[in-house]
Amino acid sequence: MGDTRVGFLIDTSRCIGCRSCQVACKQWNKLTVDETRNEGTFENPRDLTSQLYNRIRFVEGDDGKGGVKWSFFNERCLHCGEAGCMKVCPAPGALYRTHEGIVGYNAEKCISCKYCVSACPFNVPRYGGKEEKVSKCHLCLDRVQGGIAPACAKACPTETLKFGRRDDLVAKAKAAKKELYGENDLNGLGVVYALDAPPESYGLPKKPSIPMSIFLWKDVVKPLGILGFWGSIGAMLLHYVTVGPKKLEDENGTQGGDHGK
Amino acid sequence: MASRYVERFSAKERVLHWFVTIAFFILVFSGLGLYSRLFTGWFDLFGGGKGAILFHKIAGLLFFASSLLLFLSHRKEITTFDEDDRDWVTKRGGYLSREEEHFNSGKFNAGQKLFGIFIGAATVALGVSGVFIWAPTAFPRLIVQFSLLLHGLTFVLAVMFVIVHIYLATIGNPGTLEGMLYGHVRRIWARKHHPKWYREVGE
Repeated sequence: MGDTRVGFLIDTSRCIGCRSCQVACKQWNKLTVDETRNEGTFENPRDLTSQLYNRIRFVEGDDGKGGVKWSFFNERCLHCGEAGCMKVCPAPGALYRTHEGIVGYNAEKCISCKYCVSACPFNVPRYGGKEEKVSKCHLCLDRVQGGIAPACAKACPTETLKFGRRDDLVAKAKAAKKELYGENDLNGLGVVYALDAPPESYGLPKKPSIPMSIFLWKDVVKPLGILGFWGSIGAMLLHYVTVGPKKLEDENGTQGGDHGK
Repeated sequence: MASRYVERFSAKERVLHWFVTIAFFILVFSGLGLYSRLFTGWFDLFGGGKGAILFHKIAGLLFFASSLLLFLSHRKEITTFDEDDRDWVTKRGGYLSREEEHFNSGKFNAGQKLFGIFIGAATVALGVSGVFIWAPTAFPRLIVQFSLLLHGLTFVLAVMFVIVHIYLATIGNPGTLEGMLYGHVRRIWARKHHPKWYREVGE
């Protein structure tokens, strides 16, 4: 990755909540509509789905004058440098990293185990359709590899979503004295945020990491298990040639034991 | 003179045991590819990853039911330990020395009892965690994440215990396998390995 890695810088202070990004994404990726209900908020839909790769989270707070203060947050796959989904995926090629550092997926190779749902630090991958295949933001890698910006960034009227070489975006944001989220976590997130409130207020983990159970499963139990397998076989062979089996005496000769008499 | 053999396992017990065994190995082979990408090739045995998952789910149901039945049908004999069992555990069943040790074991010695209890507990752990892994989007993420860890850990332990089980029941103790294959064991075997049981049934 490094030099060739692309990504977003998402500056939440610029977002006006117009959701052009949601619409553009649906249009480019030919995603269908999700039926939603009015639940008394402008946020719509309320969660990512298999037909919704990015959305604006509406965070309602107090403006201190008895009114409501809105913060908008673009939620999507963050294309982690160390991706939990790729770590657990048992189907080769179903989730893969491109030359540009994008975490792409190939639904045809997905075996619907849904391990990635559990392993994602941000709860992003969704499954849907009759085939139950993985889907998520793939950073419009078809567009990116054709040399144009992802649909959402193209549509964003306020430059909240800035697409480009990740190094450049980070350097520029730092020069503007922005507080960055995800610059170094998980080997650097492909999508870096300049947040105008603490990450927790957007529902983000303060310090994103691979979930503990998933780490223990893949990085501790798995290697120890392989060791344990061969260790057990080795120990049995060793026992056989050192201590040896408990042989029965010849039935016509002495008896196998004289206890119990 | 009476026959050289005494009956150890009834036909019903033997069939159930081998049913559990077959389900267990289908689970191991279909689960290997899910355990690690090192074993992706094992998917081919089931026509790909989706097939392996399907086999794993079906075999999982069969294993859970049959293994639990096997445990419950022997629950009383394998969960009660007496002085002789304590002696067996203290001396590690005599497996760590070439010296001939004698234990006054009943139908099952302490090691077999412990193995039975472990497999019973593992069956429950794998079965319950398996339900959460089956439909991960229907349950809270934390529970599913923990289930994946527990499922992997219990799987590893089960495979290790089964390797020991297979060794001890075959080349480690000649004459033992006959009991599970044909139902009867030689009297000399019964007297040597399970004298207390032999006194009850054999003499």
